[in-house]
Amino acid sequence: MSMVAGRNFTFAEVEVRVSIVFGVWIMSVRLANIVKDFPGGRALNDVSVAFELNEVHGLIGENGAGKSTLVNVLGGSLAPSHGEIYINEIAVKLTTPRLALQHGIAHVSQEGSLVPQLTGAQNILLGAEPRSLGCVLRSRELMDQAVSLLHRWFPDVSISLGRPVSELDVADQKIIEIVRALRGDTRILILDEPTAALQSREKSQLWEIIQSLPEKGVGVVLISHFLSEIRQLSDRITVLRDGEHVQTLEAVNATETDMVDLMLRRSGGQKEIGKKTSQPIGETQVLEVRNWKAGRVDVPEFSLKAGEIVGLIGLTGAGHFGFARSLYSREGFLSGSIRICEKKVRGTIRDIQRSGVAFVPDHRMENALMGDSSVAENLSLVHSDFCSSRGILSLAAEKSEVARVVDLLNIKLSSPNQLVRELSGGNKQKVSLGKWLFGAAGRYQVMIFIEPTEGVDIGAKQEIYRQIRALAEQGVGILIASSDLLEIETVTQRVVPFVHGRPGKSIMANEFSEARFIDALTGEAA
Amino acid sequence: MSVKEQKMETSQSKNSIFNMEWVQKYSTFIVLIIMFVGFAISIDRFSTVFNLMNILQQISILTIVGCGLTFGFAAKEIDLSVGYTVGLAGILVPMLLVNGFDLWFALGVGMSAGLLVGVTNGLLVTKIGIPSLIATLAMGSVLLGVNFLLTGGRAIYGGLPDSYLFLGQGRLFGIPVLAFFMLAAVLLAWFVMERTVFGRYIYAVGGNQKAAELSGVRIVFYRTAALAIVALFAAAAGALLAARLGSGQPNVGDRYLLDGLATVFIGMTMFRPGTATILGTCCGALVIGVLDNGLNLIGMDSYVQNIIKGIVILVAVAIVSRTTRLKLL
Repeated sequence: MSMVAGRNFTFAEVEVRVSIVFGVWIMSVRLANIVKDFPGGRALNDVSVAFELNEVHGLIGENGAGKSTLVNVLGGSLAPSHGEIYINEIAVKLTTPRLALQHGIAHVSQEGSLVPQLTGAQNILLGAEPRSLGCVLRSRELMDQAVSLLHRWFPDVSISLGRPVSELDVADQKIIEIVRALRGDTRILILDEPTAALQSREKSQLWEIIQSLPEKGVGVVLISHFLSEIRQLSDRITVLRDGEHVQTLEAVNATETDMVDLMLRRSGGQKEIGKKTSQPIGETQVLEVRNWKAGRVDVPEFSLKAGEIVGLIGLTGAGHFGFARSLYSREGFLSGSIRICEKKVRGTIRDIQRSGVAFVPDHRMENALMGDSSVAENLSLVHSDFCSSRGILSLAAEKSEVARVVDLLNIKLSSPNQLVRELSGGNKQKVSLGKWLFGAAGRYQVMIFIEPTEGVDIGAKQEIYRQIRALAEQGVGILIASSDLLEIETVTQRVVPFVHGRPGKSIMANEFSEARFIDALTGEAA
Repeated sequence: MSVKEQKMETSQSKNSIFNMEWVQKYSTFIVLIIMFVGFAISIDRFSTVFNLMNILQQISILTIVGCGLTFGFAAKEIDLSVGYTVGLAGILVPMLLVNGFDLWFALGVGMSAGLLVGVTNGLLVTKIGIPSLIATLAMGSVLLGVNFLLTGGRAIYGGLPDSYLFLGQGRLFGIPVLAFFMLAAVLLAWFVMERTVFGRYIYAVGGNQKAAELSGVRIVFYRTAALAIVALFAAAAGALLAARLGSGQPNVGDRYLLDGLATVFIGMTMFRPGTATILGTCCGALVIGVLDNGLNLIGMDSYVQNIIKGIVILVAVAIVSRTTRLKLL
């Protein structure tokens, strides 16, 4: 009971502690009505979930659904704005990861938290090394303790704990992280994408480990974007969408189609978002891609006609974003050819851009905007030659063109000199698009959008959609990679679903339906 | 993403102490005026025409170095070799002159040497990927060695042509010739930074390198160019410094590193807080010049002056760091 000495605990904390110390294991952990607000918006809205100690509890949802925020709240990394965490039906405040750990909740994050130079044993006992006289490390005992920990939890696993972890393979590193997380009185283990970096053959061992934990009295909260993995490993699955708890279902009854359906289906209320125009599509091929390999993306053939709006969809990691991005930025490019208006293009971003491709990326503050510069400076960045001659700027010409773009896109600002970081999400996105319209009349044959309305309010969404359609009417071929299926359904005329880095059969506008998309995303298309 | 957003949240609340915008923008002006008035009242000799011209002469070279550094800071690159580049040009030019070379040739060689140093710095940073802080620190050590090797540790003097000395010591219409050089450098730098595409792209590379690259800006070229310009301005300053001193000395450039950085940091507190601007740098040079001159006239120990200057820099950087994330490595 020496743990209690030297600190004042609330009655509830003492009670939880006592129950742990006397071997009365905590029986339940429950999140109740959790709300988490960030400056950019609400990440979690009234989420209630109970985690049991005898289960693997899968947590799924698209990017931005709130999975990571939820486990960060549970793991003590983030304080909820509202709501309570109950352990054995006693409300507790988990304000730091350390406090959560003392309550038996450990978090193994996605990125990995090992010190690469240290050995496996040193990593397992990091911060709890056996010492003499309070400072001298007892190396042999450290090794013995680490080995016995590993054996106690996973008798079938053999890892050489004496080597620096940087020399071990990724799967073994993950196991070492898990053993470290289990070092104390851990009852709930949060695993965030534990298999993301693993080859398929390495996964099976980790899967066995994960499944063995509930028998040993440790409940697992598992985040993964591999739906088959979630279905195989979990006992129950909780689905989050846009920060809300959609449903918790029994894994035995769940099919992957059900899961995707729950992850993606929007509430009917916001359906009426602009209307579709069926405009004629030109005959010219503005973009032709052959044998394109970049990262895990493998696209044998892809083409886009003038005035056509094509959507790319896929689950997280399916390669639809990677494909769209690599066409412009060459990120991860391995091989393949690209033709713009029947002319072959090769080389740098500048060459691609000069030949008529515009790119409006996702994560606008990182990829598109200079937050500490003015709206005018951001808008004129790409086509500064429009308002300059021989490299010398004409501020008057810049001002009038900025005014035109601001007016065209209806960007709300106090003055063109306002800093971009002070704008709202929707207006920032309009600036990110506006860069490619400033002095750009007739320059582009292809525009690539990634998540064109990420974090954008409904009003601005409609204006952006209207602009995209207007561009298509001018004969620009448009490629939109988006995780918003409603957006895809509203704006595009043809959809290419991506599964495991490969494009599936195109879905034409007359076949559009959520069910059709969802089938295609799971690769179960008819 | 969520953790980053939370960091934003905390940094915003931290800013509340300094959130009065005008304080950010004009505090440096106010400090400058208070300092000026204070010295004018307490020291008789301070506000004489002679002394004001003296201040002008003293800050000219510093301002030129500062204008160069502003290009580097605008592109988020720092140059720690700048003082030794001043020294290098300040040795090469008198050395060539003493050996009978033509003035224009000597100045040309001095500037070329600066350009070479700057381009090398730039390529180390952009092509090899060494952070500019480290690359230029090492380059500084190299140049320090070169400077002492060239001179053997001794000053170069005697036989310098009058036309050269006039650049550093002469007066036109009662105004130091150096001040005209300063004016020319400031106007040129201001024009390039504020009125050309080149300047916009320098700022763009510093503002968001990824966004600039995806917008088709040749980031390697502009980052290299920024560091080349720093060294070019430093070399010009070095040539003028040797003319002012009437001799080439291996270690006179050293103080322009710290003073030069100080002018830029002080300048970053005003106009567009957090951004290096030419006008801001000019004000920064004025602060340093008035401070140095006033403290000298009072008869303040030069070691104490160092302490005061260090504190001034810290205060300026503290103000800048409050408003933006200062990131140079």
